[in-house]
Amino acid sequence: MKKSFAMLATLVLLAPLTACTNTQSGGETKELNIMMSFPQYMEQWEAYCHKFEDKMLKDENIKVKVNLEMPTSDQYETVLKARLQNTDAPDLYTLHSNNIAEYNTAGYLTDLTSQPLAAKIYDDVKAMVSLDGKVLGVPLESQAWSVLYNKDMFKDAGITALPKTLTDLRNIVTALEAKSYTPFMLAFHDSWVPQLMTAVTLGGLVSGKVTGWVERMNAGTGSYNEVSAIFDAIDLIMAHGTDRAMEEGAEAGSADFANGKAAMYVNGTWSAGTIFETKPNFNLGVLAMPVNDDENCTRINLSVSTTLAVHPNSKNKDLALKFANYVLDDNDSSSLFEACKFNPIATCHHYEAAAYVSEAMEYVEKGRSYKDLVLPSAVTDKQGKLLQEYYQKTVTKEQFITTMDATYKDAIAK
Amino acid sequence: MNREMQRKANLMLLLFCLPALTVYIIFKLFPAISGFYYSLTNWNGLNPTFDFVGFANYQKMASDSDFWRSLGFTAKYVAAFVVMANVMALILAVAIESRRHLRGALRTIFYMPNMISMVIGGYMWMFIFTKVVYYLADNWHWTFLDHSWTGDPNYSFWSILIVSCWGAVGYLMIIYIAGLQGVPSDLKEASKLDGCNSFQTFWYVVRPLIRPAATICVFWTLNSGFQVFDVIYTLTGGGPGTATQSVAINIYEEAFKGNTRFGYSTAKSMVLFLIVLLVTLVQLSIMQKQEEDL
Repeated sequence: MKKSFAMLATLVLLAPLTACTNTQSGGETKELNIMMSFPQYMEQWEAYCHKFEDKMLKDENIKVKVNLEMPTSDQYETVLKARLQNTDAPDLYTLHSNNIAEYNTAGYLTDLTSQPLAAKIYDDVKAMVSLDGKVLGVPLESQAWSVLYNKDMFKDAGITALPKTLTDLRNIVTALEAKSYTPFMLAFHDSWVPQLMTAVTLGGLVSGKVTGWVERMNAGTGSYNEVSAIFDAIDLIMAHGTDRAMEEGAEAGSADFANGKAAMYVNGTWSAGTIFETKPNFNLGVLAMPVNDDENCTRINLSVSTTLAVHPNSKNKDLALKFANYVLDDNDSSSLFEACKFNPIATCHHYEAAAYVSEAMEYVEKGRSYKDLVLPSAVTDKQGKLLQEYYQKTVTKEQFITTMDATYKDAIAK
Repeated sequence: MNREMQRKANLMLLLFCLPALTVYIIFKLFPAISGFYYSLTNWNGLNPTFDFVGFANYQKMASDSDFWRSLGFTAKYVAAFVVMANVMALILAVAIESRRHLRGALRTIFYMPNMISMVIGGYMWMFIFTKVVYYLADNWHWTFLDHSWTGDPNYSFWSILIVSCWGAVGYLMIIYIAGLQGVPSDLKEASKLDGCNSFQTFWYVVRPLIRPAATICVFWTLNSGFQVFDVIYTLTGGGPGTATQSVAINIYEEAFKGNTRFGYSTAKSMVLFLIVLLVTLVQLSIMQKQEEDL
């Protein structure tokens, strides 16, 4: 009895081991390993991978098995880096477009310029996944964002025009407060949220007035003193925001914003998911954050976050390239991007974007956008952290500037 | 013949230890040693190649104000945590042991927080500090609660301490209870006959006899205090800014966020390791000497 139990236990324990061994039949099945960072779209992408398998079998008579992996986003980069170091690197993987230069230096990106997909991507989006004129990734998620606002509250407060200058914004704040609305949603618990204030103010200021600031910073000759004007806008936001900001996480902030706790929220359209989940009929708008009274600095941030890359040492590189091209397939791509609620990024996308997306894209079409500033990630991290302390009044403007200058110097020294 | 048997016994011991030893060498010893090697490089965790930079990483630490700030915070935290956790655990242990009824139930209740991961515990407390506390302050007018418990560094230090004590006290309490149960009852009776009150019995008879338990508990709290990560990470994320950043969080952020300097962050871990080693060695030698003096 005992013996048979032990045997059984051994078999049960061994079963998962045998399951790991490869059960390829015949050897003509080709495997394609893909790693992606957005588990919330697992269903859509799994379906798309199946479509790809069917297409390959039908069109080219290749049996393909796609292994799609989506680690949680907070672990994704660590897992990816560990895998890239080893022999089990994925054939295709996603990365943030801001990291393209770093991954390219390490030799983990394939030049996709000559692939059919490259010709389909819109030019302003293509610029964001290119380096020295070479297309190095397939853009997936792109955003046009700056400040989210509650259209109903704006209407109720009698605001008809979106702000073009900081003075306009001040008037809007007064009008909202007259109707006893809190103008700004502050959710500063996660330091990346306050960081967005620097992202939108620096972006507008640098593209409209203090041009070449990033280049100067990267050369080690610039200083945050040149852009200290961003604090006019930041102070305005902090002075007219919701209470208990440090207790409010990003998600909670989106939910509270949807529930009408404040009229504006400096956050990207990526939080639209939470907002509409909280309140499906929310009247969401996107406006560009003014930095000063120069209209030319009031611009919307255009960025590409998740980008798909092909590993240059992939064992099935031909197949990997076929998959990359299939992501921007003329027939199938449109429905995939629509299902994931991504913005259209290529000529093969023919679907109606949500109203708030179109509103943001109007700025882009009028040329009133800027490419998301690519600062070293140590710098963006520090900006968010210092703004938390600035909000708690443990750091002054002057300390912010000197610390940021030092952090930037340190980051480029590596 | 005797030597032969001794040799065999040693070999057998070694064989029995071999599975555990192999795991220890592969997953602990080898990474620790290769970690020292990486601390002498400028590896960024991504590039296939990297350079040997000697002790440059260690020199750099001298001017890294965030690292020193986190070290200062950790030292402050460890001092408060060791005292608070041990005092609370001892009080609980004595209180529970002196009861006639419900001992088992109380032990289970106080030990329970130790059974949940501190990450989950941290999020539970996060809810208490950000929602429950404000509810009480707003609706019941308990205005003394109306502070930024996870946002203002003056208060968040205490909230971090409360949560980590809540998680650790149960475990320490069990060790102290074991110590208390090892105190011979005839000694306690004798002291009672000699006219000691309860406190005197505890202070002069029980306390010296549970020193071995105290040594273990202080060692454990020192060790885990210096490496504190999960509580702070879930509660404040080290913020606002870097005000409540512990060394472990500083190391984590250096490696996985921002500059992703794996080499530099392993160098920091080496320094943390040396500090923990030194402090615990001193603690053990002092406390064990006290035990021997008995």
